[in-house]
Amino acid sequence: MGSGDQKIDYVFKVVLIGDSAVGKSQILARFARNEFSLDSKSTIGVEFQTRTLVIDHKSVKAQIWDTAGQERYRAVTSAYYRGAVGAMLVYDITKRQTFEHIPRWLEELRNHADKNIVIILIGNKSDLEDQRDVPTDDAKEFAETEGLFFLETSALVATNVDTAFTTVLTEIYNIVNKKNLAADESQGNGNPASLSGKKIVIPGPAQEIPKKNTCC
Amino acid sequence: MNNNNNNREQQHKQNKDSTIRILDSRFNQTLRNVQGLLKGRSIPGKISSSQRLDLPDNSNLCPPTYKRSLSYNDAGTSYHTSEIGKEEVHSKSKPFGSPDENKQKISASAVENSSELVWKSSIGGRATDSIRVMKFTKVLSGTMVILEKLRELAWSGVPDYMRPTVWRLLLGYAPPNSDRREGVLRRKRLEYLECVSQCYDIPDTERSDDEINMLHQIAVDCPRTVPDVPFFQQQQIQKSLERILYTWAIRHPASGYVQGINDLVTPFLVVFLSEHLEGSIDHWSMSDLSSDKISNIEADCYWCLSKLLDGMQDHYTFSQPGIQRLVFKLKEVVRRIDEPVSSHVQQQGLEFLQFAFRWFNCLLIREIPFNLVTRLWDTYLAEVDALPDFLVYIFASFLLTWSNMILKLDFQELVMFLQHLPTQNWTEQELEMVLSRAFMWHSMFNSSPNHLST
Repeated sequence: MGSGDQKIDYVFKVVLIGDSAVGKSQILARFARNEFSLDSKSTIGVEFQTRTLVIDHKSVKAQIWDTAGQERYRAVTSAYYRGAVGAMLVYDITKRQTFEHIPRWLEELRNHADKNIVIILIGNKSDLEDQRDVPTDDAKEFAETEGLFFLETSALVATNVDTAFTTVLTEIYNIVNKKNLAADESQGNGNPASLSGKKIVIPGPAQEIPKKNTCC
Repeated sequence: MNNNNNNREQQHKQNKDSTIRILDSRFNQTLRNVQGLLKGRSIPGKISSSQRLDLPDNSNLCPPTYKRSLSYNDAGTSYHTSEIGKEEVHSKSKPFGSPDENKQKISASAVENSSELVWKSSIGGRATDSIRVMKFTKVLSGTMVILEKLRELAWSGVPDYMRPTVWRLLLGYAPPNSDRREGVLRRKRLEYLECVSQCYDIPDTERSDDEINMLHQIAVDCPRTVPDVPFFQQQQIQKSLERILYTWAIRHPASGYVQGINDLVTPFLVVFLSEHLEGSIDHWSMSDLSSDKISNIEADCYWCLSKLLDGMQDHYTFSQPGIQRLVFKLKEVVRRIDEPVSSHVQQQGLEFLQFAFRWFNCLLIREIPFNLVTRLWDTYLAEVDALPDFLVYIFASFLLTWSNMILKLDFQELVMFLQHLPTQNWTEQELEMVLSRAFMWHSMFNSSPNHLST
């Protein structure tokens, strides 16, 4: 059960949050395993997946914590915000209410997560254009005001899911890798420039970069 | 460290000795049954039709209604035969493997000397054992059911066709006094109907915002309840589920609806529906039932859910302190039982909350094949008076089923592994190994609480 021979340069912890049934787990399943399941269950507490990407010739492992959407679970799930360097804030483009709750989720993050956390707003279920309840422009405007990245995705047809993750992970990578930051600042997309120079918290012991398996 | 180990070994020895002493009849029964199955001369519980042909014709020995239950079990047949004696069953080299060996010896001789037991296991374990059925029948037929006896029997599994009656009694929903039983049930079912008409069958304009949100949350979760069992996709069953959950939530405002409680209704639904629907769950149709029947079934589910959760209210209140407490206790119990696993988990930085939260929240329903859940719940309900406490031992036993595996995994592998435990091919045998070990540890540690106080 060795963790493969590939060398991991970075491990980034990312949390997925948003209302119930907006498709958080499906986005994650699409990203981590390229799967979509029509008969998925609600997430209880938190669940976890990883995927390793190559960014700028470095291998970056995304460690993604998927959380339960119900408010009752916030006390349990917010504990997982600690050490997260990225957050995907998901709503359902066919359910206005899930978008209207986004400010509350943002508040959650700002109260419990590192203040330099990189956040992307995600409008999921973009394949259901005929049931759209949240105009793209509304969300775009909101994201700009709040300094968030923004993308619409469809976990079902696999639109923009990888892009969403790469966007967040690349931004984190750039911030961590200060040298690159200056060069890539133009892609900062309105994210607070104050991020530069700030130390990004790299998660605790559990999330440490694995030691190489040179056991024998 | 060495000293420690020596002490531990001694402790193990002592424990082993005391274990043998504390084996009570209930435990012996479980062991005999489990081990009888494990002896490998048997085809466990669920037998697919082709294999059933090979068996001596036992069907006439079964109570007639049992056939129905057997076919219900067929729902998950395909994998049930290949697993006998699989290594995992014995949990390999458990720190407490030695009591297991003892159990085997006991049971091996018991089985070898008893053709009856062989027969028993050949048609599927204790649930079909004619002696057990007789015992159940005897306990149930009295004017006053002696609950202690019923609990003892039910602990090791209830025959499918008796389960609805037994569960209602174990949960204290149906009174033990048979003269009063019908009347009480009738009244309770009416009461449920009234609740539904008062709180569910009203327009949204009469609901508060919180209530609307709760109803919405329930409506979102019903279609996602046991989605792998097609029966639960029927619209009528989802409506029933919604009514039960919403009514329960309104009547339990301290917690309200919490995701996962939807899972907890499903064993009740399946059991109480089995009184009215024939054949395998794959062929059940809610439209075969009159609305009266449906509402009675809902009422039974509602009341049984209420009774079950009465002892666990703080599992679902804000920040779920009851669950947090039990997760902490689980960690302690595991530490006492299996030091290597405990320290490995700790070294890797894995929190018990990261995997055990869902276990407690959904009472393991999410972790085992659905067709085994009712069997698991037989034991839960037999222990219902002190269930939270007992859950800790069941879950410790469940976790340590994979102790060797766990030791090999790093943090990420552990989280992934524990989120998707390989129980897909489990039969009652594996489950009952977990339960009997839990029983053993529970007796051992609960009778000497100092074990737990560092």
